[in-house]
Amino acid sequence: MRVLALDTATPDTVVGLLSGDGPVAERRHVPTPGERPGHVEELLGLAQALLAEAGLSWPDVDRIGVGIGPGTFTGLRIGVASARALAQAAGAELVPVSTLEALSAGAGLADRAVLACLDARRGEAFVAAWLGGARLLAPAAVPPGELGALAGGLRTDPGGPRPLAAGDGAIRFREQLEPAGFEVPADGSPLHRVRADALCRLALAATPVAREALVPEYVRAPDAVPKRSGTAPGTAS
Amino acid sequence: MAGLLAPGDLVLALETSCDDTCAAVVSGAGEIRANVISSQEIHDAYGGVVPEVASRRHLDLVNVVVDDALRRAGAGLGDVALVAATQGPGLVGALLVGLASAKGLAAARELPFAPVDHLQGHVAASFLGPDALEPPFVCLVASGGHTFLARVDDHASFTVLGATLDDAAGEAFDKGARLLGLPYPGGPHLERLARDGDRSAFAFPIAARVQGLDFSFSGVKTALLYAIRDLGPEDAAARAADLAASYQHAIVEALAQRVERALAQTGLDRLAIGGGVAANGPLRERLAGVAARVAVPPRELCTDNAAMIASAARWVPPQPFPSYLGLDVYPTGARDL
Ligand SMILES: [Zn+2]
Repeated sequence: MRVLALDTATPDTVVGLLSGDGPVAERRHVPTPGERPGHVEELLGLAQALLAEAGLSWPDVDRIGVGIGPGTFTGLRIGVASARALAQAAGAELVPVSTLEALSAGAGLADRAVLACLDARRGEAFVAAWLGGARLLAPAAVPPGELGALAGGLRTDPGGPRPLAAGDGAIRFREQLEPAGFEVPADGSPLHRVRADALCRLALAATPVAREALVPEYVRAPDAVPKRSGTAPGTAS
Repeated sequence: MAGLLAPGDLVLALETSCDDTCAAVVSGAGEIRANVISSQEIHDAYGGVVPEVASRRHLDLVNVVVDDALRRAGAGLGDVALVAATQGPGLVGALLVGLASAKGLAAARELPFAPVDHLQGHVAASFLGPDALEPPFVCLVASGGHTFLARVDDHASFTVLGATLDDAAGEAFDKGARLLGLPYPGGPHLERLARDGDRSAFAFPIAARVQGLDFSFSGVKTALLYAIRDLGPEDAAARAADLAASYQHAIVEALAQRVERALAQTGLDRLAIGGGVAANGPLRERLAGVAARVAVPPRELCTDNAAMIASAARWVPPQPFPSYLGLDVYPTGARDL
């Protein structure tokens, strides 16, 4: 089965291609500091480059795996909209992949829990945790003050290894995580990035969904409050 | 006129610049095979369009709307010769859903792609339908998002003669309606209420101080606010229909007088109107006799729609696969009218 997987939940644009038994091929765009994410400009070009390299075109892709977040709302929509349209036009299956699970699985650790932690802006982090393939903590947006308290529940064996925290949120909130008992890899570590290999393998194992069921995992509601409708003179409706 | 395409070639276009999710199939010759508009009534509860809510809703609807347009056109993606989408101006998050979708549809089939300017789309609506106009003509586009007068000399471009300096005309309708306590979106409600009123009851300003062919609607809005305050809640309620009729009259006159001036200045004798405000009855009546020929497209071509984007795409040089994969949107403000 040929699986193309993509993720646009973080500032990176990541695309992977799994074709047969070979290794996953990866293409990635990383914005320079201060630069906007390149999701809409880079995503299709990176995917096209991977396909061309493998001598494939879109109808050859059996399945498209999509990182559904949580992450930046706009980035998630670009990923989901692109994938749905590609599937609509070329007939591939669609599977959702949790961006946080891909981040966690990318650490490749079976013996201890990995907290995936993304910078959610507005002073919060998107977090979730897995141990091996088992989810210990569902995706949520939490303030930094609550990050430390998560460590207790993730360390099943008090004498065992410390849980790992990975992602740009782990870097940003290192000061909250390390004193609480998390191991946070060095800032430049590849463990902090969503990797194509993990995306593709999770996509391969997932169950396809109907097109409209492929939706971003926003976690947060939009910042808007419905108004009470006005009652006033001469209301004609 | 088939533009750069063969008359029978089909254009599939998407438009998601604000709160309507739209897809259309139009032939190179300008025959509308399908024009699907899914309006997001969800915003009524917020009293205006909330960009994040609109973007989420576009994603819910976009593929279904595309399927529906193709089905109504009796076509499949295999029959499509060109894919197009609105590139801007508009709400960035909303535009991105349409552009990403359209690029994906085109890329998967290695089709050419045409990015379309939303305002050029409003102008190109005049090239469609039973009342189609060929350039040159004067075009008034008035909606909740934009208000401008243009001289249209060819199919691919237009020259702005005047534009609003503050609110768009549709925004002025909505704000007036809100002052009168009417629900959002206010334009149609205000028009209905105005039917029972006397339009000369209150003398609201008609942007007389604005020079040339530009528009301004902030003065009339302030005048309505003061009139309501001066009347007090009880009298304002009793005279709501008169207030609505007078307010509407001021906006219609402001638009119509600039149109008359534009026709006189350009020496052109044909006029097209577009944008959601073009659906306003008194405006249509007022403009009916101002030019030798006045084209008022049907309502579904006046409000935001994808048929107008497909129409404009016929004169945009198509970008071959894969040169368009890196296209981005541009926001409102990049070209403010
Ligand atoms: Zn518009």
